[in-house]
Amino acid sequence: MNVPLHEITMKDIYGQTLVELGEKDSRIVVVDADLTGASGSTPFRDRFPERYVNVGVAEANMICVAAGLAADGKIPFCCSFTPFATRRVYDQITISIAFANNGVNIVGIAPGITTGMNGGTHMCFQDLAIMRAMPNMAVLSPADAYELRACMYWMASSQSPAYMQLIRSKQKPLRVGDRQFQLGRAVVLHEGSDVTLVSTGYMTQFALTAAEWLEEEGIGVDLLHCPCIKPFPADDLLLSAHKTNAVVTVENQSTIGGLGGATAEMLSEAYPVPVKRLGIPDVFGEVVLDDTYILEKYSFGSRHIADACRELARHQNRASRIA
Amino acid sequence: MAEDMTRQQLDQLAKEFRYILTDQICHMGWGHLGGTFSLVEIVITLYWRIMRIDPKNPKWEDRDRLVLSKGHAGPVVYAALAYKGFFPIRELATLNLEGSRLPSHANALLTPGVDMTTGSMGQGLSCACGMALSARMDSKKHTVFCIIGDGESDEGQIWEAAMLAGHQRLENLVAICDYNHLQIDGRTDDICTLDPLAEKWRAFNWEVLEMNGHDWDEVHSTIAKAQHVQGKPTMIIAHTVKGKGHRRYENLVSSHCLRLADDTAKKELLAGIEGLDFDWTNQ
Repeated sequence: MNVPLHEITMKDIYGQTLVELGEKDSRIVVVDADLTGASGSTPFRDRFPERYVNVGVAEANMICVAAGLAADGKIPFCCSFTPFATRRVYDQITISIAFANNGVNIVGIAPGITTGMNGGTHMCFQDLAIMRAMPNMAVLSPADAYELRACMYWMASSQSPAYMQLIRSKQKPLRVGDRQFQLGRAVVLHEGSDVTLVSTGYMTQFALTAAEWLEEEGIGVDLLHCPCIKPFPADDLLLSAHKTNAVVTVENQSTIGGLGGATAEMLSEAYPVPVKRLGIPDVFGEVVLDDTYILEKYSFGSRHIADACRELARHQNRASRIA
Repeated sequence: MAEDMTRQQLDQLAKEFRYILTDQICHMGWGHLGGTFSLVEIVITLYWRIMRIDPKNPKWEDRDRLVLSKGHAGPVVYAALAYKGFFPIRELATLNLEGSRLPSHANALLTPGVDMTTGSMGQGLSCACGMALSARMDSKKHTVFCIIGDGESDEGQIWEAAMLAGHQRLENLVAICDYNHLQIDGRTDDICTLDPLAEKWRAFNWEVLEMNGHDWDEVHSTIAKAQHVQGKPTMIIAHTVKGKGHRRYENLVSSHCLRLADDTAKKELLAGIEGLDFDWTNQ
């Protein structure tokens, strides 16, 4: 009997899906930088050794080798920890991949707080922000196994530059079953008309819990999960903001420039309503052994999300009464 | 396709290239002279005597590739591509103009025949490794050429690529280092010593050949020999002169990128080219 995808680690889903894609399309190749086991691409290496390249601990080389492969018609996936897959090689990605429009798929493993024990050097809070500031680059952050698989299928077919965060551990499914990934679209996980809650990647599970709690209190949360940060799902968000007039964002990233930044930028021009951004403030990472520690420290767990939603919904009710 | 050309024809072509490159700089009042002039004989040899290409089909999958890792030498490759028929020679007059298909640094999205976008130093050799790996995956027989600068060799990424190519035994990769000993801030020996350069590449498991980068026969025979090396990539250290062929700017640090203040400076620059004056803008 097949094990449901959500009972498998995301890392293993990544490896399995690479093999699936590799079997369907001989142009799929993997370029790793000494993190094959850590990323989960081992099954691809074993199944297709001739289409697998390990460049060693040399991320800049990994990015440009992948660019050369893509320029020659291959569809490369390459990965490292999020800081080394993005900020360490930002110019290589900018020029050899995005500017040159070479369809490389970059995967950043263990995003934000999920890198846990590796601490501040490996804990990157700005990859969504810096990658979304790059022309030609799609930026994805799937929340569960089904969505990860859908994202990878899209990446394999797009032949354009893409960056995806990869949570390595097993994730509770947003819902069970195969999914389609739609570029530039949000997924409505909970409907309500009192406040809009926007989340992505790892934080969506916490946002969903908050939305369910608030429903019991009679506060309706419109929860928009964004597997795709860029292109930004502006239309979906605008539609929801028109309904609620209050928006809370939460992400496993700095509140500067990422999902919250994108939300605030768009709404301030198109439909200015109160926005509260939750996530990591302007600080570096540290050792995290249990999520609770850092979610409490920077107030962006389910309880804080619910507090922020409650506060904004109350503010909006007051505002509409005055009006 | 490779052509047999007489020494006289090659010399004439090199003169015309240097004239056009100078004229372009005069027209713009700005441009890279030193590092394009140092490559004239090498680029002509590659495009006329070595590389298998098809101007009618720039993306022909069995073509030889050239990654110009020192992307600022784009104009010398554009001259070769135009003469080969990838686009009209008169289009060279659009070099670095707004909306041009010929930007100062090589851009594969814009220019027919350019195989990789380059300009940020140190990245091209890695891209060339990727192309060579791709060819090997597909059992293709073409060669991937890559031209790097000596100043560019200060970049750590060059040596990441060097180590990988050696490890992967990329015999279909031939790199050429334009060793003219000058970089933007001065002599390479004064800024960050490259020597012993040949030994460095040998230590990275490459075959290393050396040549006078301005001697037609030596350039041709060395590159041809490199294509037959088996079991490892080849680095050709091309001993060149920056600004070669310009009476005023030969072997000068300041030849890297010129800015011409006025018409007098333009006249002086053109006067530095050996006895040639022709109208190439109608071709």
